[in-house]
Amino acid sequence: MAEATILICDDEPHLRELMRVSLDRDYEFAEAADTAEAIELAARVRPDLVLLDVMMPGGSGLAVIERLRKTPELASVPVVVVSAFVTDGDRRAAHDAGADGFIGKPFDPDELASVVEELLAANR
Amino acid sequence: MRAADPVGLGRRALDRVARRTASIPLLSQVVVASALITLLVTGVFAVFLIAMSDLRGSTNVQARSKDVTTATLGLERVVNELEANLRAFVISGNDRFLRPWRQARDALPEAIAGLDKLVADQPVQREQLSRLTPRIQEYVSDYGVPLISIARVSPEAARAPVATTEGLRRINSVRSQLSRLLASEDAYASAQEASAKREAARAVRLGVAALVATGFLLLLFCVFLARGIARPVRDVAVGASRVAAGDLSTRLPEKGPAEIHELTHAFNAMARSLEQGQRELEAQNQQLRESERLKSELVSIVSHELRTPLASIIGYATLLLKRDFGETEVRRYAEIIRTQGARLTSLVEEFLDVQRVEQGRFELKDEFVDLKPLLVSEADVVASEAPKHQVDVLVPHDALPVRGDRDRLAQVYGNLVANAIKYSPEGGRVEVAGEVADGVVRVRVRDEGIGIPDEHQARIFTKFFRGEARESGIAGAGLGLAVAREIIEAHGGRIGFESREGHGSAFWFELPLSAGGSAGSPHEPPSP
Repeated sequence: MAEATILICDDEPHLRELMRVSLDRDYEFAEAADTAEAIELAARVRPDLVLLDVMMPGGSGLAVIERLRKTPELASVPVVVVSAFVTDGDRRAAHDAGADGFIGKPFDPDELASVVEELLAANR
Repeated sequence: MRAADPVGLGRRALDRVARRTASIPLLSQVVVASALITLLVTGVFAVFLIAMSDLRGSTNVQARSKDVTTATLGLERVVNELEANLRAFVISGNDRFLRPWRQARDALPEAIAGLDKLVADQPVQREQLSRLTPRIQEYVSDYGVPLISIARVSPEAARAPVATTEGLRRINSVRSQLSRLLASEDAYASAQEASAKREAARAVRLGVAALVATGFLLLLFCVFLARGIARPVRDVAVGASRVAAGDLSTRLPEKGPAEIHELTHAFNAMARSLEQGQRELEAQNQQLRESERLKSELVSIVSHELRTPLASIIGYATLLLKRDFGETEVRRYAEIIRTQGARLTSLVEEFLDVQRVEQGRFELKDEFVDLKPLLVSEADVVASEAPKHQVDVLVPHDALPVRGDRDRLAQVYGNLVANAIKYSPEGGRVEVAGEVADGVVRVRVRDEGIGIPDEHQARIFTKFFRGEARESGIAGAGLGLAVAREIIEAHGGRIGFESREGHGSAFWFELPLSAGGSAGSPHEPPSP
């Protein structure tokens, strides 16, 4: 079984590292610090799953989901929003934009790992 | 040339009158107009009274004329009596006829006197009467009396043609004068009557004309009342209905007589004050809504800002507790936890600053500060965390001396540089320049970033205001500039900016030059 590729998008380097370490080591990782980079990398590496911050330089992460959904090859890639905006309204907005999962910051590393595993398994 | 238009002319004339009487109170206008109409009606009655009295005068003339005629005829009868009896006596010689002759002769003075009295104010008749009177007296004394004496002596002589002819001549002369008197009285009477009738007819015509004029004036009065009272009152009622329906911008023209002017003026003042009140309420509502929105956004932003470092702290701590790492990783994660904790602390400090600013508990040290090394070192710290940006610091050869609180000034400057980097997400050049000019130390931080839209520029120093930062994915609580302004103003300085959307911003602050410093030193490298 080929290793899954996960695209991590967050402008905080420490948090990207935290997500990377939280997940098991049997994934390939790509990292983006702003929305433009996220879209560019997604097109290039064709990730199996995207972890996406909402407040990033260059615009909202939710706009990135919409862009992905409009790209045929990336339309079905699972996206988990990882955000420090955690109200019901923020969760609903993420869901409406097309996110498959939502994890509020701060998060439990094990919870992040299990959500990612479940989504990858469901999509395989 | 415009053709004459009687209706238009009339309206224009009315308008002219309305303008001329504009400032006179309505009450006075109504009183004056009523008085005028009353005067006119009185005049009409007077004219009719004159006509009636003229007619009565004519009746009087007729009655008097009849009296004169009767008296004249009476006189004629007396004369006839004299003549008839005298002739009868001469022919018959019978004394029986002398009695009525004497009676007639005695009645003569009374008849003449009566007539004389009646024609006292008619010179023509009077003159005729005065010529007639001697003729009659002469007929009695110069002819009648001698003829009677002759007849007693010689009846034949008295009956002679000479005597008869003389008598006839005299009596004919009397009779013709009497009939002239009658004719002239007739002419006088009819002339008087015609003149009286003419006068009366003229008076009636005048009266009718005055009546028509009165009617016309009454009509004008009605029009004036309608224009002066009814129409303005209706206009005010229409305006009031519109205000009641919610159109508070309704205004009435403030013109017309004093009372109407007062009324419309008061109406407009009322509408203005209502509109003002509504505007103020709306503005307050808007402010309330805005402050509600800012508050809820603030809660969301503050929560986000706190959660971001907390995510690192809790995440790495959990990893350290649950999993095994080598010494290097453990140290590294512990270091991350520490720096993120410090970030959390400074964030809390920032919130507390706002609290201090709001409560006026802002304590500043007063020490000598050279901004030059501060500009360089702070820029280095910020630049090291922004690899995409090029931070250039341009400072003069000499010091940039001010007095104040070093840490607070560093906070302001750090905030401006951090903003310059934060608001140019594509990277680019950030230029810091310090200089001494006109007794102040001026620091400017310029970026090539997204700039500030015109509609946000006025509120950029308002706390918690972030423009479209959230939508652009730029973190922050919207407190930095609000606190910066408080700090700079507390130092007796000024803070400001120039910005164009899409072309970057240049924020600057000025502080009074400290006496210890040197002014006007050359720049090295030169500031642009």
